[in-house]
Amino acid sequence: MSRGQTRANPDVSVVIPVVERYGDLRQLYTEFSAELSRLGKSSEFIFVIDEQLRDAVPVLRELQERTEQELVIVLMGGPFGESAALTAGLERARGDSIVTLAAYFQVQPSGLGPALAALDEGPDLVVGRRFPRIDSYFNRLQSRLFHRIVSRLTGTNFHDISCGFKVMKPQVARELNLYGGMHRFIPVLALSHGFAVREIDVAQRSEDRSTRFHGTGTYLGRLLDILSIFFLTKFTRQPLRFFGLLGVALFAMGVGVDLIVVTEKLFFDTGLSDRALLLLGVLLMVLGVQTLSLGLVGEIIIFTHARKVRSYHVAEVIRAPGRPEPEAERKISSVRNLR
Amino acid sequence: MLELSIVIPLYNEEESVDALYGEVRAAAESLGIGWELLLVDDGSTDGTLDRLREICARDPRVEAIRFRRNYGQTAALQAGFDQARGRTVITLDGDLQNDPRDFGLLLATLDEGCDVVCGWRRDRKDKMVSRRLPSMAANWLIGKITGTRIHDNGCTLKAYRTDVVKRARLYGEMHRFMAPMMSLSGSRCREVVVNHRARQFGRSKYGISRIWKVFLDLLTIKMLLGFTTRPAKWFAALAAPFLAGTLLAFAVAVYLGLTVPPGGKYSLVFPAITILLAFASAHLTILGLFSELVVRVGDFKASDVVLPSLDSGGRP
Repeated sequence: MSRGQTRANPDVSVVIPVVERYGDLRQLYTEFSAELSRLGKSSEFIFVIDEQLRDAVPVLRELQERTEQELVIVLMGGPFGESAALTAGLERARGDSIVTLAAYFQVQPSGLGPALAALDEGPDLVVGRRFPRIDSYFNRLQSRLFHRIVSRLTGTNFHDISCGFKVMKPQVARELNLYGGMHRFIPVLALSHGFAVREIDVAQRSEDRSTRFHGTGTYLGRLLDILSIFFLTKFTRQPLRFFGLLGVALFAMGVGVDLIVVTEKLFFDTGLSDRALLLLGVLLMVLGVQTLSLGLVGEIIIFTHARKVRSYHVAEVIRAPGRPEPEAERKISSVRNLR
Repeated sequence: MLELSIVIPLYNEEESVDALYGEVRAAAESLGIGWELLLVDDGSTDGTLDRLREICARDPRVEAIRFRRNYGQTAALQAGFDQARGRTVITLDGDLQNDPRDFGLLLATLDEGCDVVCGWRRDRKDKMVSRRLPSMAANWLIGKITGTRIHDNGCTLKAYRTDVVKRARLYGEMHRFMAPMMSLSGSRCREVVVNHRARQFGRSKYGISRIWKVFLDLLTIKMLLGFTTRPAKWFAALAAPFLAGTLLAFAVAVYLGLTVPPGGKYSLVFPAITILLAFASAHLTILGLFSELVVRVGDFKASDVVLPSLDSGGRP
């Protein structure tokens, strides 16, 4: 295959973050690159290795020497996690389409063809959904609950957002700014960036099946992730909508509680100093005002950065052929977009 | 230099677009000045885009900006402002309820020496109870709180000097508060009565949404109006009632302590309240100082609120 050596942009870039669980990378590479050649696509593979999994490097080095295709190994400087690894990989991807894969056997390579074909039909991002699921009943229940909460909070409808298999256009890869646990919510983030997202079914591999019990910490972490994605997709432009509502609700509760206490004092002569409830009311009011004032600080942050942060994405500017391009347009594309 | 940029946000206005373009063109041509029309497609899902392509292909004075998805009217207006090249910007709704024949009146008022001219739909052709009454209440409240007393904040038909909109900081859903937001940068506002027509096609898309949003936005604007001088001061004002509460609770705690009978039990409720309120007022004061830091690292400068003098032709 001489196409890999010409340094022309490959048809497909495959980004594989090796962060936690990883399988036989040699076999993974062989299977997926074979499938891509079968589809007649030139490809490059980018493995991004988290520092703590350095052990995976020798295998990949060996693979790199053997293959004629482009194979890039990126070693992270520290244990930065999957989002960072994905970002590092996506930054280096040069392909016309970009595929992300889990570092273990999650889906069948046969899913590549339909996914790439689906991307050509219009959407900017195609998300794999492992279906039918062969996981244990417990894991399926867990996953369904997670997705139910995410759907409800973000107003989207995805069934398997944590599946590592995704196919996207380079523009999506450029714009997604992943950090923390955000890699789990790529479809939701892409939607909020105004990209078209489609979910397709892919066959799950038997190796993917394993009963996963997570510690309480994992669940709490997930919950925080859900909360931040909810905040990020809905309220980044209006922090006070979020903090203000919460703050006003808390404050109103506090006022209500104290009103009850004071009424009782006035009509039933229960001494105020005996009532711990009075304290609770004051606490709620204080909490309410603090939450609200944090929202106000948020608004100040947005306001003082409103010049740099554009709150919209332009898909296209339509003008007659004779019409000159304004300077302003270059300015628009250079500013950072929020959401 | 172009004289006039006309900005129109559109969201699913398939039926109105052609008529709108015709009317705007007729009105703008009758003014006898150079103009351009910027149509912002705010993620329409109907045939609006095809209409826009046809118009843009025919008329080089027209430009369409298509959003990836629906971002709301503020973003659509902002996109138009960003793209505008005229010396003056006029905005209007895409639903034909505003009358482009008012352009001349708006421009004449602008030339009399102000920065923003707001249309006032005195004879609004909308339902009384569901639209006009809530809007009257909202306008009264906005005037009361922001100090920019105009009758009709909801009217999109407005004229601005371009340097005023270019320096405006719009975000969220601030299109309801254009005049107060512009006054943030020291703009002078005027109001003129404009024509309003009943809806011909489709239904209203940008209605008055839930009331709490308006309240919170108002609170924001109130704060932004105050903070252009000193944020710490603003937060200190917020802390003041809590400080008063602290002193009061402290007084009660001391009084109860002095009157407790020998051998009696002293309740800790009031000392606890004192601590809580003291904590809150300290926290708010610190947040105020923190905001000073935020403002300092942001790109907001005091010079942003100073307008260029009018006799320099509107340009600094």
